[in-house]
Order: sequence, then C-alpha cells, then structure tokens
Amino acid sequence: MIELASDVLNFTFPDVHPEAELQINFQRTLRIPDDANDYPLPPGLGTFPIQHIDDHAANVPSSWLQHGGVMLPMFQSEAMWLDFDSSWIEQNDVAYPFAIKVAAGKQCAISGEPWNEGVTGKPQNYMVAPEQPWLDGFVVEKGCIRQFVAMPLGSGYSAEEQITGEAQHGGLQLAVYPMKRDVFERRFPKVRRMKHIQSQDVCYSMPECCSAPDMGLAPGGRMKQEIYNDPYDVDDWDIDAGGRCFVHLCNSMTWQSLTGEVPPHPAPTAKVYNSSGLPWFDYYDDAMTAVGGSPSLAKLKSVTQLSAEKRDAALPENESVTPGNLVLCRKGLKQGQVREGFI
Amino acid sequence: MKGFGDYLRKVREQRRAEDATFSVRQLAARVGVEPSYLSKVERGQQPPPSEKTIAALARELDLDPDVLLAMAGKVSGDLQAIIRNRPKLFADLIRQLKDMPDHAVLRLVREVRDGEW
Repeated sequence: MIELASDVLNFTFPDVHPEAELQINFQRTLRIPDDANDYPLPPGLGTFPIQHIDDHAANVPSSWLQHGGVMLPMFQSEAMWLDFDSSWIEQNDVAYPFAIKVAAGKQCAISGEPWNEGVTGKPQNYMVAPEQPWLDGFVVEKGCIRQFVAMPLGSGYSAEEQITGEAQHGGLQLAVYPMKRDVFERRFPKVRRMKHIQSQDVCYSMPECCSAPDMGLAPGGRMKQEIYNDPYDVDDWDIDAGGRCFVHLCNSMTWQSLTGEVPPHPAPTAKVYNSSGLPWFDYYDDAMTAVGGSPSLAKLKSVTQLSAEKRDAALPENESVTPGNLVLCRKGLKQGQVREGFI
Repeated sequence: MKGFGDYLRKVREQRRAEDATFSVRQLAARVGVEPSYLSKVERGQQPPPSEKTIAALARELDLDPDVLLAMAGKVSGDLQAIIRNRPKLFADLIRQLKDMPDHAVLRLVREVRDGEW
C-alpha cells in the first residue's frame, strides 16, 4: 500500500508485517559541476512537493493518467536525490529491510537494464534499505554515480533516450519489496530488552522543447557514492507483496498551470553554495561492499558532454568548485542526523 | 461559549506555571489582541475570537487548531471550502462516518493509484 503524506511516499506492507514501512522522499539539491571531477554528496534543501496525478485528471496528458502515480515539479537542469527511511522494529531491535528499485525512463539506475518486475542478483538491480540511505544518480562506476539532472523529454539528454533512442516514458519508477516475514524473524530474532534508540530562478528554456510537460533524468556531474551489494539473499525479498509507483517529473511551468502552486525556488549554484562555507557530505560503511558500475550506464554522456556535441548550452553556471566543508557520515545515521544544507 | 474560555484559561495557566511569558498580557500581544479582550474571552464575557486569532492561540499554546476551533463552535475555512466544493459527496461521507470508531476512520486512507506502465 502506498500513501502520499506531506510530500513523502509511504510504502507499507500490513500483510507482511504491521510495522514494516519505507518512506521515500525526493530532495531538492544543488547541481554539482558537470566536469571531470568527482564531487562529494551535495545537501538536501527540502523536499519537492508531490501531488496525485488523479487530482489533475482533466489537464494532464492521457499517458500520465494511464501510468497512475504521482507528479512533482522540476526545472530544467535541476538536480534531485532520493532519501530512504525504513521503520524501526523495536521488538527485533532493527530497521525493517527493504529492496528498492529505481528507474528513470524505465531504465534501471543501478544496472542500466530495462525495467522488469522483481529483483535480480546478477547484475544487482536494486538497493537495500536501511543500508543504503540515499541515491543521487546513475551508477556509472564502482563507487561513482552521475547526478540525476532533469532535462526535457525529447531533447535527447535523458538516460532513457541515450540508451533506447526513444523518449517514451520519462519520469522515475520505483518499486519496493519488503523482506519476507519468516526470513526477517529468522535473521533478526526478537530481543528481550527494549531499546528506544533509532539508527539512525531561473528557468533555462530550450526553444525546441520548452512546451513539453515531461522531464526525464539525465546524467549530470560525477559524485562519489557507493551502492552497496545486497547483504542478504535475493530470495529473501517478498516480490509478491511489493508496491510500485510511477513518479512523473513535471516541467515546473506546467506544474504551476496544473496546480496553481508556485514550484520551489531552484537551488543555488554549487559555486554560491560552496563559497558560503556550507557543508558537503560523504557517507561510508566499511562493512559493506559496493556494486560495480553498469556497462550501459558507463557509456552515457553527461549533459555537458552531449551539449558540447550538440553545440548547445544546456548547463549554465557549471563552474568547477573545490568543496571546503566536508561532513563525514559513518554507517548507521544517528537519530535526527540529516543531510541538509542551511539555505 | 464559556467552555472555550475556561479551556483557554486552564491551558494558558498551565503554560504560565512553567513560563511567565504566558501571562494574559504577553500572550495577547503575541496573538495581536488587547489583553482586556483576551481576559473577557477567557471569562466567557465575549464570544470566541476570529479563526485567525484562534489559530494563533493554538500555535502559541501548542494546541491542535482544528480542536480549538471546534471548541469555539467553528470549522476552519479550508475545511469549509473542501465541503463547499463537493457538498453532497462530503456531507454524505461525513454522515456515514459519524458513528464509525476512530481506528476504522483512520483506515480510510488514500492510496497512490498504480496504472499500466
């Protein structure tokens, strides 16, 4: 069961475990420079607003209605990351484990393969929460991703268009599978003691496509982020109980005309953010190993690389920066620990 | 509407026992009304204030604004707008739900609809 509450998607699985809940929110962030450098993780600057597609049935494209799900607004060349938060099960003294699949334009952001139902182990096409707290982009190499950057669907920049040659789906696709209940109880037996701690402005328009309501996610700058191998077995996930959601990425101008609400102000540039001494982040877990990069995602051209070929200027204000204020986050975020900038 | 005034005074006095800024004078200043007016509201000598003032009082006293509005015999403007927009649907819905236990009402959640991809 998937609910939308306060701009957060809540995936619950009452048939599997009454307290199994995974929250996914979509964080606004600054776009890291799309250059040859590997950058640390940028901050979260608040969540994108989200609304049900069905609330705007009279005005959205028919394909959106067919997909169902939700929509959120993105400016062209705006970046985002996904935040995963799984519920703490006090009786077992552990956060409930989930397998999470994320695709952009129905191309898996982890394995680069076309969307399919369920999970596969080789290559791994999912992440595991709570081990994986965040996802910022397409996995292009082991320990390196390219940031999710919104570009108009049809402009040729999205990962979907680069891989398939077509601008058919756009948006983000999510699927969440809880760990099977019997596996959970076996791996994490109930504990007697009850602990009460928790783990933790400008719209750059492109003349040929500014009227397109759909945005797709394109690969932006390089960032250091490990996507961890599944520490469990691929058969541990309850595929039949899974839930999935199509997240339409709505051009911010279209969003305003559909909802009557002004989309959030675009994030500051990396240069402005960095020069203010605000924090960047690095997350590491010595006990985990990272998945390798996907060959198909490794071949993707970044927005800057592609726009140079097109003699286009798709990413303005792309100056390199040297992150100064780096905050290290160890495995197991403390209660209340956040990855936020202070704008 | 003495019940509203009594409740308001009781909560304010509770807060004041721990924090002197919850005097009638200082609370009135924070929510933008005259102290004498707030005092009369607490004593039931004046009807409850406007929705805006009640919302400000709820914020200051850390109370639920909808509950405080209901005690004042009011329904918030946004809820009124929701009902006015689809009056028959919501009137029927509320009447049908009125005797349902809380836990059953809480189960009436809206799911995100999945379609064909």
